[in-house]
Amino acid sequence: MSHLIRLATEADLAAIMELEKASFGNDSWSRPTMRAELMAPHTYYLVANQDEKILGYAGLSKVASSSSADIQTIAVSELHRRAGIGRQLMQALIEQAAKLTATEIYLEVREDKPAPQKLYEQLGFEKIDRREKYYQPDGVAAIVMRLTIPTTVKSEPVVLGIETSCDETGIGIVRGTTLLANVISSSMDQHARFGGVVPEIAARAHLEALEATLQKALETAGISIKEIDAVAVTNGPGLAGALMVGVGAAKALAVAIDKPIYAVNHLVAHVAVDILERGKLETPTVALLVSGGHTSLLLVRDLLNDVELLGETIDDAAGEAFDKIARVLGLSYPGGPEIDKAAQYGDAKAIRFPRGLTLPKDQEKHRYNFSFSGLKTAVARHVELAESKGEQVSIADVAASFREAVVDVLVTKAINACQDNNVPRLILGGGVVANSRLREVAKARCQEAGIELRIPALSLCTDNGAMIASLGAQKIMAGEAPSQLDFGVYSTLPV
Amino acid sequence: MTQVLLAIDTSAGTAVSVLVDGVVASESYDANSMQHAEQIGVQIQQGLEAAKKTASDVTAVAVGVGPGPFTGLRVGIAAAKMFAEGVSAPIYGVGSLDAIAFANSLDQPTLVLTDARRSEVFFGLYQGKTAAGVPTTLLGPGVKKQAELEVQLQAAGHNYLLANTQVSAANLGLLGLAQLAEGTANTSVVANYLRAPDAVPAKGKKVSG
Repeated sequence: MSHLIRLATEADLAAIMELEKASFGNDSWSRPTMRAELMAPHTYYLVANQDEKILGYAGLSKVASSSSADIQTIAVSELHRRAGIGRQLMQALIEQAAKLTATEIYLEVREDKPAPQKLYEQLGFEKIDRREKYYQPDGVAAIVMRLTIPTTVKSEPVVLGIETSCDETGIGIVRGTTLLANVISSSMDQHARFGGVVPEIAARAHLEALEATLQKALETAGISIKEIDAVAVTNGPGLAGALMVGVGAAKALAVAIDKPIYAVNHLVAHVAVDILERGKLETPTVALLVSGGHTSLLLVRDLLNDVELLGETIDDAAGEAFDKIARVLGLSYPGGPEIDKAAQYGDAKAIRFPRGLTLPKDQEKHRYNFSFSGLKTAVARHVELAESKGEQVSIADVAASFREAVVDVLVTKAINACQDNNVPRLILGGGVVANSRLREVAKARCQEAGIELRIPALSLCTDNGAMIASLGAQKIMAGEAPSQLDFGVYSTLPV
Repeated sequence: MTQVLLAIDTSAGTAVSVLVDGVVASESYDANSMQHAEQIGVQIQQGLEAAKKTASDVTAVAVGVGPGPFTGLRVGIAAAKMFAEGVSAPIYGVGSLDAIAFANSLDQPTLVLTDARRSEVFFGLYQGKTAAGVPTTLLGPGVKKQAELEVQLQAAGHNYLLANTQVSAANLGLLGLAQLAEGTANTSVVANYLRAPDAVPAKGKKVSG
């Protein structure tokens, strides 16, 4: 018996939902989500039907302004698998993507499903990334795959990005929206005995790491320096002395290879990194950027033209708070992973530490701002008080309760920002994203609130050159003029 | 093949020079000690244009490795390193005080002093040159309070002239070429800070009385 492949319509929704639930169980999309997908102007959904019965469906997403497309979903009814229906649906979507001038197609697939992975590989997709615990609640990793559609015209610039705003010397190379290399040299170990980043040490380390980092990036990307079409560099915000190393290096490199240079904002670049994994940035989105240097909430309506700083920390950055509390607890630097580890067996509700700037009176002026200094003092007092009374302090309980307070504030404010602004998605960035509890709580609360959560791979969350290159490439592809060669560095550069 | 040397020094202001076959073809100096990051790209580009050369003509890079105030010093070294990478040219490190000394006859002991901030000076004492013209160092480079340095030099019985203290990238380039000629050019380009970073290991601090 033969089947037919045709465009899906709203009338197929019920049949599609039935198949969706049977195929994906508790990970399946809701009916409203599916309906929105089917009806969206930038999606292309197909069904395979036989008589009145839907045997399979698949969807593609392609935004006009982007050169890449996404396979949104694909399912074939259990009884009709191994009949080539999945392959036909995929081939039809690939054809459509090519018609829409996409140069790449991305998809995510469960790591524990070898059969579809094999099909995608046969169709020319290659594995480019792995996302730990992507499918919940099963905790199964996702494999990100990409198909490059050959084009005759080179439309995607090769951009080299240099990042030196804090303690990571990052050099990344992208081709349009595709990541080619992301090499990071960190001076973290040299700061350990000081309990925090020492700007002069960081700047010295950048200078020493430059050449080797550049060489490794070129080698990883498999390109020669002559193939670079443009240089992008962070010129703020960050540590001035550290930023200057990168800016001096980038300018001289641009002059040496006779290519344009783009000065890039570090915080916005943290958001632009998502494009390297998804081919595009879904907007509007709220971004929560949390590191040793920043704790910021951004509202991104348009990556290049409309980014608003909703709020930021008024004292310590969240990562700094982790470092300082680690010291109080006798744990080592950097504090984030140490506290994460110590908190594993602790009771997060053992001590109710204060949540900075969350009281009703703070809501007017500081709804999206953060403060961790009061929390830091409260934890230190708690420990000192217990010690002075000769009581044993449970490091696990203090670590867990402290971590819970930080995470609670971060996620609560991020979700408020989404809901207040009617933004259905949140992207995380910055080194503190490595914190397991932050990811856990963000996932749970976003799911509850119906907010799509994006967590880039950790190597793209921490400071890196690839994000700088990615934002640079976006500017170029949007036709933005390069920066003048005399730009400066700004430690408090606004978004 | 024409030898084109790009010389850079940011140990004080921003100095850039292009030397073609050992002859200074262009030279610029911006005295502002707070504008290195802004100036460096522009001065390299304009220096090449003024010398009627393109970046890809450059066959070697020489850079002042200090001593000098750190933040500015690094900008020039970072730029020189990446320029050299960009055009696949060798890079040589030249002492910034040596480049000042180079411009002097050095018939008598000559003291080179530059501002090290915090009421200290970077110094080097030189006398005589090698056959190729490379200054011979008697003392330094070092960092000290000027008064202390003077006491030390007097005690050692040194009489000296005080040299002009502005680094010229052209002289730095010429010195680099002299070192290359006599085989003493320094291929390891490491900033000569002469001071450790200001930082003290963290101590626990009580917050309650």
